[in-house]
Amino acid sequence: MTLEKYLASLKEGIINLDFGVVVKAATEAMAAGVDPNAAINEGMVAGMAVVGDKFEKGEYFLSELVVAAEVMKEGMAVVKPYLKGSSAPGLGKVVMATVEGDHHDLGKNIVTTLLRVQGFEVVDLGIDVPTDKIIGAVKEHQPAIVGMSALLTLTMVKMGEVIEALKSASLREKVKVIIGGTPVTTEFADSIGADHRAANALEGVKKCVAWVASPERRQ
Amino acid sequence: MTEMTRRERILAASRGERADKLPFFHWWRHSQVGWAERECRNRGMGMAWARPSYTVELRDVDVVEQPVMVEGVKVLRRTYNTPVGAIYLDEKREPGTGEWHGMRSWRDVSPWQTARLVKQPEDYEVLKFIVEHTEYTADYFPLEQAKDWLGEDGCVVDHHPHSPMQTLMIDWIGSEGGRFFIHHAKYPDLVEDLYRAISKSREPMYEIAARSPADVIWCGDNIDGVLVNPRLFERYFMPEYEKMAKPIHGQGKLFASHMDGRVNVLKDLIAQTPLDIIEGLHPPPMGDLPIGEALSLWKDKVIWVGFPGSIYILGPEATKKHTLELLREVVPGDRLTIAMSTENLVSNENLRVVTSVLENADLPLTGEKIDRIEKSLG
Repeated sequence: MTLEKYLASLKEGIINLDFGVVVKAATEAMAAGVDPNAAINEGMVAGMAVVGDKFEKGEYFLSELVVAAEVMKEGMAVVKPYLKGSSAPGLGKVVMATVEGDHHDLGKNIVTTLLRVQGFEVVDLGIDVPTDKIIGAVKEHQPAIVGMSALLTLTMVKMGEVIEALKSASLREKVKVIIGGTPVTTEFADSIGADHRAANALEGVKKCVAWVASPERRQ
Repeated sequence: MTEMTRRERILAASRGERADKLPFFHWWRHSQVGWAERECRNRGMGMAWARPSYTVELRDVDVVEQPVMVEGVKVLRRTYNTPVGAIYLDEKREPGTGEWHGMRSWRDVSPWQTARLVKQPEDYEVLKFIVEHTEYTADYFPLEQAKDWLGEDGCVVDHHPHSPMQTLMIDWIGSEGGRFFIHHAKYPDLVEDLYRAISKSREPMYEIAARSPADVIWCGDNIDGVLVNPRLFERYFMPEYEKMAKPIHGQGKLFASHMDGRVNVLKDLIAQTPLDIIEGLHPPPMGDLPIGEALSLWKDKVIWVGFPGSIYILGPEATKKHTLELLREVVPGDRLTIAMSTENLVSNENLRVVTSVLENADLPLTGEKIDRIEKSLG
């Protein structure tokens, strides 16, 4: 098989949400000595870009985004051991968390995967994360962005608590804060002093990319 | 028109008939029993109470519950032992769980499942055994009792669980980390086989519901178009609604489903369902389908609105403004009732401000009437 064919299989496998095709193509490509960075960027990431386009056009739904991300994860597991040293320079760090009291992580996990696809290093703190743990992670990892999600009106107020804690720890000016989740409105984001409310996973990721690419980039 | 009771009001609107006033009510499971709730009920707020019409028995399945520690967190583990294997779920319970309404905690939070029944492909066989050994028996006492207690103060609905695919998506496989979608893509045969088994096992439950003393049979389906996309809705939800509706409509009862998420993407498909009541529909900013648009699109359906919690959080003034805007959007106000919340508790202040607007919402609503209500509020 030629390089082009390996890359096309990886790309199409992602677009068609086909676990078997991607794992097989990744395995064969690595055995054939294909550059792992090419397999990732020109194969799988290119496939994810098409999936993203389809999502934006309404041809694909959240379920397809989730599955595509999972297919890519399995492909990456094959390719990763072949990566030597660091790949292309990353876009920076993001600390992600579902706030305390909330166990919903679907949106957060999709954003996490898409951020990684874009080249961010994501520190995913998981679900039901207490405020002090988020602050601790910001101190430790010094991210450019903090992302928080909540699905309940009962728990979304915790996002405001985190922002206040960032201020108290003199960290607020060092990070951008993006929040998301079904009940989270722009009005609410403004009221707690967040920088942005993500309308959906793709829009949120685009905003993060724009932040780090802009002259305003903090870090 | 003679003044209707709260029950008559809710049911008239639910049948598509004109009520004397726009019905509004609090769900029993979210109500803050006390002075504000009493005051609002005296001012016209009804009560809706959801109770089951059946009991469930598992044959040849041994269920054991015990507290265990998982990663430093105390959870309640429920293990189902069957002849074909065992599966378990873990539940995290907040303080007050079981001591408030139903299983809810002091903060009105239901127990969290931190580990779902389905974790790996082998679990499907065990779960299918459980499903095929589940028996439903009619037990109308909870509904009869609630009807007796509530009288004309409100409406008792027969509460049914998530429909079969939603049971898998939300309860048994779970959507955390996208697990349901991944299983559906990786193991479609296992997921579909279990779906069919649940659908089959629920048939007696639908017959029991149809013959229950409740006027409304309510499937607590928690539909959100972001999770239940149109392809899934059309393939797994619409046929099940058809199946449920047959005996329910055969007995002259109303059929409702809880659709409290972002359903804009499903609006044309929802229009094709045999549902009489779309319950829990949240207007923007929490939902993404304006109530006025939904009413004009679903001509043969009634909407029980769920007041959006993301407005409540902005305080009584924002709540008042939103309620008045909602009235203006739904003029003349037919085929509509408003629930104070379908999500969690409402503050006394917000409960009173919504009541202040709705207690004078005589039907048919007009722009002038709504202006008068607004003026009376100062």
